[in-house]
Amino acid sequence: MSWILPVVPVMASTLAERFEALFWYIVLVTTGAAVLVYGAMLYFCIAYRRNESNTQTPRILGSTRLEIAWTILPTIIFFTFFAWGAIVYRFAVHPPRDAEEIFVIGKQWMWKAQYTPREIDGVKYTPRVIIGGNPANMDEVDRRNIGRLVVPINRPVKVTMISEDVIHDFGIPAFRSKMDVLPGRYTTAWYHPTRLGEYHIFCDQYCGTWHSLMVGKVAVVTEDEYARFFTGEGSPQGTNNPADGTPAADGRQLFLKLQCITCHSADSQARAPVLEGLYNRPIPGHPGKVADDEYIRESIEQPLEKVVEGWQPIMPSYAGKVTKEEMRALIMYIRSLKPGMTPKRTEMNVPPVGAPVTPPPQDTGSGGKK
Amino acid sequence: MSIAVPHGGPVAAPPPPEPTPAEPNYLNHSYGIWSWLTTVDHKRIGILYLVSISVFFVVGGLAAGLVRLNLLSYNSALLTEDAYNRAFTAHGVVMLFFFLIPAVPGVLGNFFIPMMVGAKDMAFPKLNLASWYVFMAGAAFGVWAILTGGIDTGWTLYPPYSSRSSQSNVVPGVIGVFISGFSSIMTGLNIMVTVHKMRCPGMTWGRMPLFVWSLYATSLIQLLGTPVVAITVLLLGVERVAGIGIFDPSIGGDPLLFQHLFWFYSHPAVYIMILPGMGVVSEIITCFSRKNIFGYHAVAWSSMGIAVVGFLLWAHHMFVAGISFYAAMLFSFLSMLVAVPSAIKVFNWTGTLYRGSITFQAPMLFTLGFLVLFTIGGLTGLFLATLGTDIHLHDTYFVVAHFHFVMVGGMVLAYMAGIHFWWPKMTGRMYSDWWSRVAASIIIVGFFLTFIPQFIIGYHGMPRRYPNYPAEFQVYNVMSTAGASILGLGYLLPAFYLTLSLFYGKKAPANPWSATGLEWQTPSPPTVHNFDHKPVVVCGPYEYAIGVDQMGRGLPEPPGPGEAQDPASRSGPTPPPGPQQKETEVVG
Repeated sequence: MSWILPVVPVMASTLAERFEALFWYIVLVTTGAAVLVYGAMLYFCIAYRRNESNTQTPRILGSTRLEIAWTILPTIIFFTFFAWGAIVYRFAVHPPRDAEEIFVIGKQWMWKAQYTPREIDGVKYTPRVIIGGNPANMDEVDRRNIGRLVVPINRPVKVTMISEDVIHDFGIPAFRSKMDVLPGRYTTAWYHPTRLGEYHIFCDQYCGTWHSLMVGKVAVVTEDEYARFFTGEGSPQGTNNPADGTPAADGRQLFLKLQCITCHSADSQARAPVLEGLYNRPIPGHPGKVADDEYIRESIEQPLEKVVEGWQPIMPSYAGKVTKEEMRALIMYIRSLKPGMTPKRTEMNVPPVGAPVTPPPQDTGSGGKK
Repeated sequence: MSIAVPHGGPVAAPPPPEPTPAEPNYLNHSYGIWSWLTTVDHKRIGILYLVSISVFFVVGGLAAGLVRLNLLSYNSALLTEDAYNRAFTAHGVVMLFFFLIPAVPGVLGNFFIPMMVGAKDMAFPKLNLASWYVFMAGAAFGVWAILTGGIDTGWTLYPPYSSRSSQSNVVPGVIGVFISGFSSIMTGLNIMVTVHKMRCPGMTWGRMPLFVWSLYATSLIQLLGTPVVAITVLLLGVERVAGIGIFDPSIGGDPLLFQHLFWFYSHPAVYIMILPGMGVVSEIITCFSRKNIFGYHAVAWSSMGIAVVGFLLWAHHMFVAGISFYAAMLFSFLSMLVAVPSAIKVFNWTGTLYRGSITFQAPMLFTLGFLVLFTIGGLTGLFLATLGTDIHLHDTYFVVAHFHFVMVGGMVLAYMAGIHFWWPKMTGRMYSDWWSRVAASIIIVGFFLTFIPQFIIGYHGMPRRYPNYPAEFQVYNVMSTAGASILGLGYLLPAFYLTLSLFYGKKAPANPWSATGLEWQTPSPPTVHNFDHKPVVVCGPYEYAIGVDQMGRGLPEPPGPGEAQDPASRSGPTPPPGPQQKETEVVG
């Protein structure tokens, strides 16, 4: 990390380019004005300092012509700022119709994003990511899902925001975008990202104790990676598991529920090969065969057909025990597994497939009778 | 090009004899704490304000020091997040409501408005004393709120955080703001009536010093704006205490309503803070360049323009708060309009320096500092008034830096300039010329180092009110804290040499700067009733070129460039330079 910031902060959206053009126009004009005024002041202070030969001053009361000039000229210049600013603002607050929509929910002190549902093999999936916040205030599931907001490059994305409690503000400096997030009302912002990378998200409206921890990251990814984020195969959101609400995330839960983890674990007590990075790799003992979708399906339904060299043929068949959708989810999950992503065998409290990721509000007992 | 036309204005007359210093003055005509606490003398009330706001300046400054120290680390190593939030809120609330708003109107306005218009007191002396008591009562609530746990909402008090969520002393805090608002109204009313009804013969509106004009404009804002914030914080208190839904959407309120009401006062309130400073600057820059103000009417009317237009642009604080596109357009447009009178003022002040005979004592150094810093503050405001740039810069350190350039670089420097300018009149003592120049230079340098880095990190997106921030901003925060230390040192110096001057300072002559205002025609310090005889004004306020004061009498020799610079070294009247025939020049 460089200690000195670049002159111009990284520009990662079309709005950023428009902002910079306007910003530097104002910088140029105001600097010019300041140099003129300061130059005049400095010159007068030196040229007209009091000395023995300069004790008398002329009686100058003003000049109407100058007053008119320096009233009208700044007014015209200021109106150019206004007009150009209004054009940029109009661009910034009106999302294009074809923009893909992401819902963002702010609360003390975390950001949640929920994507527009996509249909995959006849089932609707809605990826959800915790973008950031203070881990100390989250439950276990949210904490595991702390990742990044994922947006595709070169395509408009509209963000519709609401707050659960107080006013927040969803700001992304690299996009030069910022919008307050209000309770009881939707507000929108939109981005057209133009540069791959990872950028800051800040809560810009003071919201209490952990305001400064209500921060996160946005990842601008390729269209291809974006699609893999939706299925859960890739993890551009940066968590150690598929994004919640994707087919692969369902597969992960099945993987735990069906006790696959008991043998396919990543520890020393494993009784079956670890599945990380398995997809499309050659299978030891079966030359010419790679672990594609069909191989994975077969290995679940007929595990004894192609046992990996060096392992005992002890796996029971799951034929008839998983539905077509569940099989799809399991395959997606295995496709998504990268080194280090296998869950711990002792992971507690696995919620059932399809359960909400946040627990229902606790009844505090203070409500009236209903 | 300049054309010279003969003028029909006043010509120099002999300066008045130095008033005998043995007379009882407002400081020594009675003694004891009780004589101060029950005084209705506008000058003593001004001193009461001076003492109390100085205390609040120290309190607010200490809170700022805590904030800056904590920002040395990017992970809030010094304070907990809660403590940090309380520190910056204390800094904001104390500095704005208990220092900046009463600073010039309460201290310099109370002390000098009656003297400048040739009156023996304010129009309502008892109301004037009441305003100080009300101010202190409000401040007591504020201090109570801060000492018993603090407020963590930020000075802007946005609900629903402040009404529902905050676990801190919001209620005593808003009571303090509510009460001290009445003090502001009382002072504004008093100044306004005094200016209307108490002017001495010959003191027409066109001959009033620009300081009086600027405080008149300030009073207009105080009278019309302060009731709105009083109602707003009252509603906030009601929602917080009684749970009646006004601003909190979960019980049927509208959070944007609060922002509209709050900024309807709080935007004009920044003009309450800066306009008096502009008045001070107009007085000092003419005196130290021995010139008439360039464009008296432009400067006077631009104050009124700012006061009126300032009421029409509150929602430029809300461009990203969820207001409609058309509302944003309107408020951006109107914000551009208010920049014009400020620009006019800067141009006229610069024009005043032209062909002057300029000396650089502390009041002038502070004033030049004001001009430089206020210009930057004003110009950076254009970035925030422009819609397209405000989206990104809103709520970042860019705003913090802009605001401090106007409020500290502008207002506090103008206040320091005013205190240094009028200190000999208020106390009858001269302070150290050398030390005061050193202090002015240190303050200006420290100020630049503190706030220029904040513009950079703000432009790079660092949000305000963040005790934890990305590590790439740390270098700039360290620079800013280093600057703040220098700035703090600069503020400590006047506390020492001004206090020392009370005991060891040379006696000040009646008119040490050879200024033209009526306040300089009284002894230093003034007598209880200011003027022995009712003054009669015969000319405008800045006839330095001819060398006559507003009563048409000659001026003593101004402090010179050489060793005679120290005004205290001159005692007694100097012989009149003799009647001069001077021509009025029309420039351009």
